[in-house]
Amino acid sequence: MSELAGWETEVLITVCPQCDWRYIVPVAKAPLRCPHCFATNLEPVTEDVEKLPYLRPPELVTPFTVNKTTADHRITEFASGIPYAPRDLNPEMLRSRVQPLYLPMWLVDGDVAATWEAEVGFDYNVVSHQERYSDGSGWATREVEETRIRWEPRVGQLERGYDNVVAPALEQHAALEKAVGAYKLGDAAAYTAGTLETAIVRLPDRAPEAAWTDAAPAFQAAASEECRQAAGADHIRQFRWSPAYAGQNWTLLLLPLYATYYLDDEGQPRPVLINGQSGRVYGVRRASMQRAQRTALIIVAVAAILFLLSLIAGVAGLAVPPLLVVGGIGGVVALCIGLGAIIPIFRAWQFNRKPIEIL
Amino acid sequence: MTETFPPPGFIPTASAIPGIAVYAPAPEEAEALPEIIEFKCPQCQAMTAYSVADGGLRCTYCGYYEPPTRTIVGKSAQEFEFTVETLAVASQAHGWGEARQEVQCQNCNARATLPPGRLTHTCPFCGSNRVLQQDAPQDGLRPRFLIPFKIEADACGPIAQKWLGSSWMVPKALKQKALAGFTGIYLPYWTFDAVTQAEWKAEVGHRETRRRYNSSTKSWESHTVTVWRWESGRVRKFFDDLLVPGTAKISRVLLNTLQDYDTQALVAYEPQYLAGFLAQAYDIQLEKAWEEGREAMRDATRSACRGQASTSQIRNFSMALDFSEESWRYVLAPVYMAVYQYNGQPYQMMVNGQTGAIAGQRPVDWNKVWLVVGAVAAPGVLLTLVGLLALILGMVLPPALGAAAVLLVPGVVLLIIGGIIAFSIVNKARRMDDV
Repeated sequence: MSELAGWETEVLITVCPQCDWRYIVPVAKAPLRCPHCFATNLEPVTEDVEKLPYLRPPELVTPFTVNKTTADHRITEFASGIPYAPRDLNPEMLRSRVQPLYLPMWLVDGDVAATWEAEVGFDYNVVSHQERYSDGSGWATREVEETRIRWEPRVGQLERGYDNVVAPALEQHAALEKAVGAYKLGDAAAYTAGTLETAIVRLPDRAPEAAWTDAAPAFQAAASEECRQAAGADHIRQFRWSPAYAGQNWTLLLLPLYATYYLDDEGQPRPVLINGQSGRVYGVRRASMQRAQRTALIIVAVAAILFLLSLIAGVAGLAVPPLLVVGGIGGVVALCIGLGAIIPIFRAWQFNRKPIEIL
Repeated sequence: MTETFPPPGFIPTASAIPGIAVYAPAPEEAEALPEIIEFKCPQCQAMTAYSVADGGLRCTYCGYYEPPTRTIVGKSAQEFEFTVETLAVASQAHGWGEARQEVQCQNCNARATLPPGRLTHTCPFCGSNRVLQQDAPQDGLRPRFLIPFKIEADACGPIAQKWLGSSWMVPKALKQKALAGFTGIYLPYWTFDAVTQAEWKAEVGHRETRRRYNSSTKSWESHTVTVWRWESGRVRKFFDDLLVPGTAKISRVLLNTLQDYDTQALVAYEPQYLAGFLAQAYDIQLEKAWEEGREAMRDATRSACRGQASTSQIRNFSMALDFSEESWRYVLAPVYMAVYQYNGQPYQMMVNGQTGAIAGQRPVDWNKVWLVVGAVAAPGVLLTLVGLLALILGMVLPPALGAAAVLLVPGVVLLIIGGIIAFSIVNKARRMDDV
């Protein structure tokens, strides 16, 4: 239990039986619903927790800069303006289910020695001309300057250290980052026991060795950019290098996220995520086709009743001719109302055609 | 990755970031050109000169031969873009060479003063050939390529003789005169490449025949009307090696006649090629020459645009034209120049040193020309005069009126035809000595 002790508070390792995501949860907060699939409550891990990897507490935490009030406001914005919204998609329900959560991410520092080669591009300006001709006024010439790139080969050697190169600690990191946007890492602070008072922590599912496949290209990208600057060039392409890495140091960083959900027509939970740093909201805003169809049915029923009454008035009109007019008008109105039944279905269908909205 | 570091040909260059070393390809070493290159035979110390027949340096005394070291690069010869820096260098070169330069022959110590722009010099005392490298004007834009001479100087005499003999207007005495004294000279030219892309629109006239009923004559009549319809199109034209002369000191009329050079024969510049010839640096700046080149390109593009119209009847024509992929070269092209005297008057002659095409001034035997003009006009004049006499006679003797009509009609026709021919002959004769 030595690694768990590092959390400086009494914690429980939990797992979602549905999606198999693992979390560190303060004992006081358990039980909680899984903030990923929202299908079921988290359950304590029954196996020998010492055998689980990556139980150590994080070194750094990016704090929530979007407070609960702001998050509630963003949820209200998310839930508004949806025609025939599912009953469960309302601000109150969403707010009541909000679960603050920290996502893990690796940061790696390292020294690199390499030889490199690339093509570097230098901007230069050329003078070109545009001409206009018309029978009345003859030729008119305009001189224009165009910027072009001159590519030149460069080789070199590099001995540099790079800090805080990011590497995902979750298999779903790229998808999550695409959904809620990137985090600024400069605001990170050292982990304290108070971190777990506000949120639970998702445990990494990628070891540093596995995350290295993503870190290495990030090192290369950083080196490529530095080589461009070193060469005094405006552009760089076809960067190749043969690096030798040393002095790698891995740091675990937590990223803040609010997670909530609503149930759609089929009763399936639909997640709504809010970036705890930028406030960007991700979620599927869909109209309920069931509600739209129900509204349409009510309109059709009203139209049918009106049509029936008009029919009766029409028959009575054979005896009392003025009723014939009432019947005719009623029939037309009933037809118009009946046609209007398509509107709720059309509106819901049209709204659901829109792509997922990111607010 | 390269196995050896740094790769051959790379040298260290400045780096803006500590810990990163940057190596760049070593710049092509600028040839340390001696100020003056003298061409002496290593065997007999006599003068060597470029031999048109051999394509290298040849000593005319001992026969020593030195082949050229450069190969034909043709159209793949490097082209330069119109960068802001290039144009700045070109504009700074303006006004160079106002001062004349003095050279001293290292063979006989004779001193000579050369006009600006001359790249070569042959000592008039000992015949020493030399090529000036560094004092040449516009060193920033020195010629990188040239078209070597293909025609030997000796061949120019017969070419000129044939050319003079090809016109009946040239005096007979001149046709039998042996012409010599052709001096080979490399003239400066700019070559330009560009792509023009134009969009045009115009009203195009279509002739249409229509029938209408004329109520007064009660019949159907046909009449032709022009119907104007808007048309538009796009043209993309590639111009390859458009030649524009780089000197204003030689007659443009003569240059335009000669300038059908084949740039496939371009070779990289080497002083050897200039040995024994004169060479002139440019005095028309790059920008001015490019202006002339652009005019030619845009006019050709406009013609192509108008050619796309469905008929030749066009009005309200307008077009927008963009230049792209513009590039230039500064090259030297060979000509032979000669001046011959006739009746105390000097006449210029130029032979294209690559193709043998000839252009120049030719004296005119005006007696011969007027005789021919008289002979051409005479039938018409005579017939008309006789016809007029018959007309006057017809006032007294009416039967003569018929003869007058028979004579006057062909007389006037012949008079008009003869007049046109006579006018064109005189006009052609007047242009014979234009430059």
